[in-house]
Amino acid sequence: MKFLFKSTVLLLPLAFIAMFYILLTEEDAYPGTDYKTFDVPKFQLENLENTKLIDNDEIKGSFILNVWASWCITCRVEHPFLMNLKNQGIKIIGLNYKDERSDAIQWLDKYGNPYEITVHDLKGSLALDLGVTGAPETFLVSNGKVVAHYQGEVNDAIWSNVFLPIIKEKGMF
Amino acid sequence: MHPHRRKRLFNIILVLLFSTSGIGLILYSLNKNLDYFFTPTELKTINIPEDKRIKIGGMVLENSVVREQSKVIFTVTDYKNYIEVVYEGIVPDLFKEGSGVVALGFMQNETFYAQEVLAKHDENYMPPNLNINNDN
Amino acid sequence: MIIEISHFLSILATGLFLLVGLISFIATDTKYIANLISRTFSHGFLLLLISFVIYIWLAITDNFSVQYIANHSNTELPVFYKISSIWSAHEGSMFLWIIFIGLWGFIFNINIKNDEVLKPKSIGVISLILVGFLLFLLLTSNPFEIILPIAPLNGADINPVLQDPALAIHPPTLYLGYVGFVIPFACAISFLINGNPDVRWEKLVQKWSVLAWVFLTIGITLGSWWAYYELGWGGYWFWDPVENVALMPWLAATAFLHSLSVSIKSSHLRVWTILLSISVFSLSLFGAFIVRSGIIDSVHSFANDPDRGLYLLMFIGIILIISLSLFILRFSMIRPIGNIKRFSKESFISINNIFFGSLIFSVMLGVTYPLVYEYLFDQKISVGAPFYNAIFIPIVLIASLFLFFSVDSKWSRNLNFNFFRSPIIVSIILSIASVILLIYFFQTNNLTFLISVYVGLLIIFRYCIEIFNSFYFKKFINPFSAIAHLALGLLLLSISFNSLLSTERALSIRLDSIEEYKDLKIYFKDIKVVKNSNHDSIKALFFIENSRGNIVELSPEKRRYRTRGQITTETAIHISPLRDIYITIGDQLDNGNWVVNVQLNYFIRWIWFSGCLMAMAGIVLIFSKRKV
Repeated sequence: MKFLFKSTVLLLPLAFIAMFYILLTEEDAYPGTDYKTFDVPKFQLENLENTKLIDNDEIKGSFILNVWASWCITCRVEHPFLMNLKNQGIKIIGLNYKDERSDAIQWLDKYGNPYEITVHDLKGSLALDLGVTGAPETFLVSNGKVVAHYQGEVNDAIWSNVFLPIIKEKGMF
Repeated sequence: MHPHRRKRLFNIILVLLFSTSGIGLILYSLNKNLDYFFTPTELKTINIPEDKRIKIGGMVLENSVVREQSKVIFTVTDYKNYIEVVYEGIVPDLFKEGSGVVALGFMQNETFYAQEVLAKHDENYMPPNLNINNDN
Repeated sequence: MIIEISHFLSILATGLFLLVGLISFIATDTKYIANLISRTFSHGFLLLLISFVIYIWLAITDNFSVQYIANHSNTELPVFYKISSIWSAHEGSMFLWIIFIGLWGFIFNINIKNDEVLKPKSIGVISLILVGFLLFLLLTSNPFEIILPIAPLNGADINPVLQDPALAIHPPTLYLGYVGFVIPFACAISFLINGNPDVRWEKLVQKWSVLAWVFLTIGITLGSWWAYYELGWGGYWFWDPVENVALMPWLAATAFLHSLSVSIKSSHLRVWTILLSISVFSLSLFGAFIVRSGIIDSVHSFANDPDRGLYLLMFIGIILIISLSLFILRFSMIRPIGNIKRFSKESFISINNIFFGSLIFSVMLGVTYPLVYEYLFDQKISVGAPFYNAIFIPIVLIASLFLFFSVDSKWSRNLNFNFFRSPIIVSIILSIASVILLIYFFQTNNLTFLISVYVGLLIIFRYCIEIFNSFYFKKFINPFSAIAHLALGLLLLSISFNSLLSTERALSIRLDSIEEYKDLKIYFKDIKVVKNSNHDSIKALFFIENSRGNIVELSPEKRRYRTRGQITTETAIHISPLRDIYITIGDQLDNGNWVVNVQLNYFIRWIWFSGCLMAMAGIVLIFSKRKV
């Protein structure tokens, strides 16, 4: 009886801890990550800054495609990290999602512009083709193909665990 | 058997009996009161009894929201299948066409009668694991 | 520069706490060592406090070179919210959490004399816990991180939902409660290490534990009140995972206080008391883990970062392994001498411990089962109010019945149980009479309601008779117990009435017209758009007339914040002692009508009042001179 009691007291909480350990370190510890590969969908949309039409030909090579909007708080949180990436010389294309042009431009002026080009997707058509469900979301594009997709804020942990392994594997940037 | 030991054995059995029946009761009520979460596609494939409370989740289809008196009728979709939802009451602030929603209620004849409608508190985000892709 | 000073001071404090911890466990207990530990701990805390004060100053002066402040504060915020923005997100709340652990330790340190046997090791344990948390803060979530090269000018826009006085004070109160249990925990560990069963660690920690419990009670009540008026759902408790992880330490703490009152008097229930002191503290840590790791989806959860979760989990694991191993090693020492008398107060309290244990177990199950289920079967499920109601209603009612009969029980004596003693009979008769009146008056046959009201009334009448006796016949009464249990009775009553009577209805109403709902005539007088500095709002005006012809004005609002386009609902509430009229405004329909949600929430104030009364009981105990 005493032994039973003692071992329950010790083992039950430890089993609990072990359970949470498994849950936390489960493969899908970064929900919202998708490694499906597909071509960047065909599109023709305006450039946010100068309203010139852009299509697939103008965004070639390897880059990060970041979906954002001025109404999105998490994008604001994510923003310093994107500026950081830009300073490291990583090419980022912005996809401005369901946003007023003037609001978006003001936002970039205010906080800084990490994007080489920003595509203005007022109706969310390209976003729909990409499988975007909200903002922010980030795609890793390698030679016209999407190779990784992350829903939510990209930060240091996400960058080094979700994106960097693929970037290293493919030898991008 | 020594009376002292017999008493101890009796105590052990009593404790085990009580604790197992107690835990059993708790687990039973847990099982009875679970709300299962389904996407519209899963709902098409599974038959759900009318008296089983479930949660459904997905996106509110664009141009589907109709308001009739104090009722709100809208379509929830995962862009593969669709389900009509009827709700009486005020939808939450973050409820919008084209954004994520979770509703709690009962299925009756292909229509979902919601008791509660929740939009995600964090306005940018969808319930996780609800991979909505349009890869038909 | 000043940022680095603040950062450096907290690193220095970590070093000092580590030193205190090491000394207390390595050095032999002498008077000199005890003084050294006490002094070094105080110095460590002062360094930490200065570091925090500098941090507050950085927030007040809008020093946006600090990334955390830049992300969570704004130049246009009032000073009060600039300060409260510190605990509006992860890094800052952890900082505050650490300050509070230090504060409890510091006050304990200066209040307890150095020759107290358990003191040096207790301070040592607190220091090591502080080191663990400080390392967590500095390594995984550094609030001192600097934005380079240019700082933003105005900071960020902070979430308008969070700009609220109740929310600014609710987390700190709750944290004070959570971490306050570091003191009983540290003393229990110190007692186990010391190994002398005659040392009365229970006496040392009682007032501290009650104080922490008071903060926890107030914190939970405040949170419930905030959710009621701010979120616009009109309820007082949602069984949200984050609410549940705050409830578990409270349940454990309440059981702990009961158990402690037994162990103070005799060696009985020491096993329970020590186990409970360990569980309260680890459940508090578990709460921090759940909220910080983002493992659970909830309206409250913070940014998702598995590393932080892992660190906290390992920390809890280490604390649990050490404390439980100690517990098992010393098990023979803390076992009681002799058996508990049947129907003595001790026996009732040990039954109470079992009830509380089952409640904690059920809540824990409700929180974790969906996670495990999803992992195993890949099917998302959730556990909602029906499960908790199915568990809590019967257990709380049965426990309350036991409470009713335990009032007459005596310490370490068999209860000469006489069912026909007048207080019991009088309360039973009064309660039955009231319930019959209620059945007649409300025309209800809702059994759960009637039983809960009956049990609630039993407790209230019983304790009222006790209080009456103590005033007129100078009969002994424990004021803490009487007030706290009266509050429990009141809570049962108000929750029952609230769930029986409260109604809600979404009305579709045209401008300048009258709708009737229950006994109310609702006149939709006006609706207009108001422009404010940072938001536009749609503001409606209603005149509401009740059956007695009293008219009140209510103007619910819907706000749209310009910078982020966030929409918030501002409820309008008319408060009266018995019921709240709670109005929120929805959308405009195609035919020009507006959807308006009207809720009549009965006795909801009494729920929070009961919470405050419970906390009051604790305060009475802390300030009472009498040794309990």
